[in-house]
Amino acid sequence: MGYTITEKILARAAGLPSVRAGQDIKAKPDFVLAYDFPGYTDVYFKTMKEDFGIERVAEPERFGIFIDHMVPTATAKEEELHINTRTWCAENNVPLFERRGIGHQVSAEVGYATPGAFVVHFDGHVSQLGTFGTLAIGLRRNVMEAFVSDTVSIRVPHTVRVNLHGTLRPGVMARDVFHHLVRTLGPSSCRFQVLEIGGPAVAAMSTEGLQTITGLAMFTGALTAIVNPDPVRLDYALPRARKKLDPVTSDPDAQYSAVHDIDLSQLEPIVVVPPTPADTRDLTEFLGLEINAGYLGSCASGRLEDMRAAARVLSGRQVKSGVSLHIVPTSQELMAAAAREGLIATLVEAGAFVSSPSCDYCFGRIATMTANQRAVSTGTLNVRGRMGSPDSEIYLCNAAVVAASAIEGRIADPRPYL
Amino acid sequence: MALKNLRGRVAFIFEQVDFDVDQIVGVKNIKITDVEELAKVAMQEYDLDFAAQVRPGDLLVGAGNFGYGHPHYPPMKAMRHLGITGVIAESFSPGYWRGEVSMGFPQVSCPGILGFVRRWDEVEVDWAAGVVRNHSQGTEIPFESLPQADAEMIEAGGLVPFLKRQAAQQHEQKEHAHVRSGS
Repeated sequence: MGYTITEKILARAAGLPSVRAGQDIKAKPDFVLAYDFPGYTDVYFKTMKEDFGIERVAEPERFGIFIDHMVPTATAKEEELHINTRTWCAENNVPLFERRGIGHQVSAEVGYATPGAFVVHFDGHVSQLGTFGTLAIGLRRNVMEAFVSDTVSIRVPHTVRVNLHGTLRPGVMARDVFHHLVRTLGPSSCRFQVLEIGGPAVAAMSTEGLQTITGLAMFTGALTAIVNPDPVRLDYALPRARKKLDPVTSDPDAQYSAVHDIDLSQLEPIVVVPPTPADTRDLTEFLGLEINAGYLGSCASGRLEDMRAAARVLSGRQVKSGVSLHIVPTSQELMAAAAREGLIATLVEAGAFVSSPSCDYCFGRIATMTANQRAVSTGTLNVRGRMGSPDSEIYLCNAAVVAASAIEGRIADPRPYL
Repeated sequence: MALKNLRGRVAFIFEQVDFDVDQIVGVKNIKITDVEELAKVAMQEYDLDFAAQVRPGDLLVGAGNFGYGHPHYPPMKAMRHLGITGVIAESFSPGYWRGEVSMGFPQVSCPGILGFVRRWDEVEVDWAAGVVRNHSQGTEIPFESLPQADAEMIEAGGLVPFLKRQAAQQHEQKEHAHVRSGS
C-alpha cells in the first residue's frame, strides 16, 4: 500500500521511515510562519521569553513573519504592535516581510512554499501553499508549540482526494470550483483531513486558481489542501525555494478515505449566502439583489486572473454611482504586474477604488459596512459582522460577478459582459 | 496522570448542524473581554433562564461539525465562567476544536450523542472507558478517542502548561542521555 504526499512529508518531518494516517507524531516544521496580530505574535514573543526563557530562536531561517494586517496603521497602538514585531524579528534575525502583500501569497513569492516542505502558521488560509506540494497547516494558538520547541504534536491526517476533469466555462472561476466542492462534498466532508486536489484538469489550471481553491480548504473542514506538484508549479516554486528538498507526490496506490470526481465543464457561477460559508447557491437565484459595496481582494482572490476578469467586465463601463468597489491586489508583485498589463488603469477609469495590498478590507477594519448594507466579495468569509456591522451582509462570489454587480448596483451575471 | 471524568447535566443541546459558536454571545458582543459581561449576554437568543439554571459541572451537547465558521474564544469563555465543563458533539469543526482544546476545555466527539441525551439528563464522560454514560437513562455510548497531544493538553489545563510540561520532560530526557553517555 502506497503513501499519500501528506504521509511522506510528515514522515520526513518526524524523522521516521514512514508514517500512516491516524498516527500521533511530533514533526519538525521546515518553516514556521505568522503575521503580527494582537493576541497572537505578541503573545508568542512574550511567552517564549517569560515562560520558556527563550531569548533567541535557534534557527531563524526556519521562521517568517509578515506585517499585512493593520497596513497602513490607523492608531498608534497598531503601530506599537508592528514596532514590537520589527524589534523581535531584528533581535532574532528572523525574516520580516512588511507591506509586501498578504502573507500567504508573499510566502509563495519568497520561497516558503518549498515543494515537500512542512509549514505551520496559526492562520488556516496558509493551506494555499499546498498548490506547490507544500503541506501547510494552520494550528491556531497551538502554533506556539513551534515557537517554543522544535516540533509540533499532531496526528497524521487522512486524505480526501478530489479529481478535477474538464475545463471551466467563461464566467466561471476557481472560486466557483471551491464553493462547488463545499456544496457537493459538504462543509464537514474533509474534517480533520487533507483535501488533495488532482486529476487531469489540474495541469491546465492556473497556479493562481489553485491558490484560491487550496486557500479556502478550511470550509470543507480540511486541515489543509495539497496538490501533487507538476512541472508548472515546480517551475515557479523550485527557483524560489528556501530549502533544498526533494518534491514528493502521492503514490498511485495511496490510501484515501474518499475519492470524488468533479466535472468542471458543468459548473456555474456560485454565490455563498450569508451568514455561513456552507450556504452555496446558484448565482441565478440571487440576481437583482441590491448591493452597496464590492470587494475584490484577499488571500483567496485578488490575483492577476481575478483583476483580468474584473477589467474585462469593467472595461469601458462605469461602477454604478453610490456603489463602492474596492480592488486590492493580493501582493505588491501582483499589483506591479497588473499595472504593467494596464489592468489598474482600466479598473480605475471604471471607477474602482484600487488600494495597495492589505488584509484589512477582508475583515472590515477598513471599508467598514454599516447596518443593512450588503456587499459582494471575493473575501474569505461571509459570517455575520465580518466586514463591519453584524447587520450587514456579505455574498461571496467570483471576481467577474463582483465587477458586474458593481456596474449594476445589484447582484449580476458577468457573462453578458464578457 | 489521567484525565478526570466529566459529570454533570446536559445544560443545552445545540441541534443545528455546522453551528457557529459566536451565536452564543451574538456577533455584536464578540469583542467584549470582561467575562462577567460575556456571561450576561450568553445564551440570550436561546434561553433567557440559562444562567440561572446552569450548575458547575454541566455540559453542552452539539450536532455535527460543531464550531463551523470563524469561531472566536469569548463564547466558550462565557460558558466556562457559567460552570460548563465540556462539550460533547456529534463531530467538531477542526478550527474550533483546536482553539478550545488549547484552552484546556474538554471536547468529546461522540457520534450518536444527539439521540442519546435529553436536556437536563445527568451524563458522565468516562475517559478511560471511552464512553459517555447517561445516568438518567442508564445507557452508555462510545466516543472517539482523543489524539494523544489533545488528551495531554486538556489534562495539563491548556496549551502553555502542556508545553511547559513537555519542555521539562525533554530537558529531563537530555539530562538522562547526558548522564548515560558520561558514565
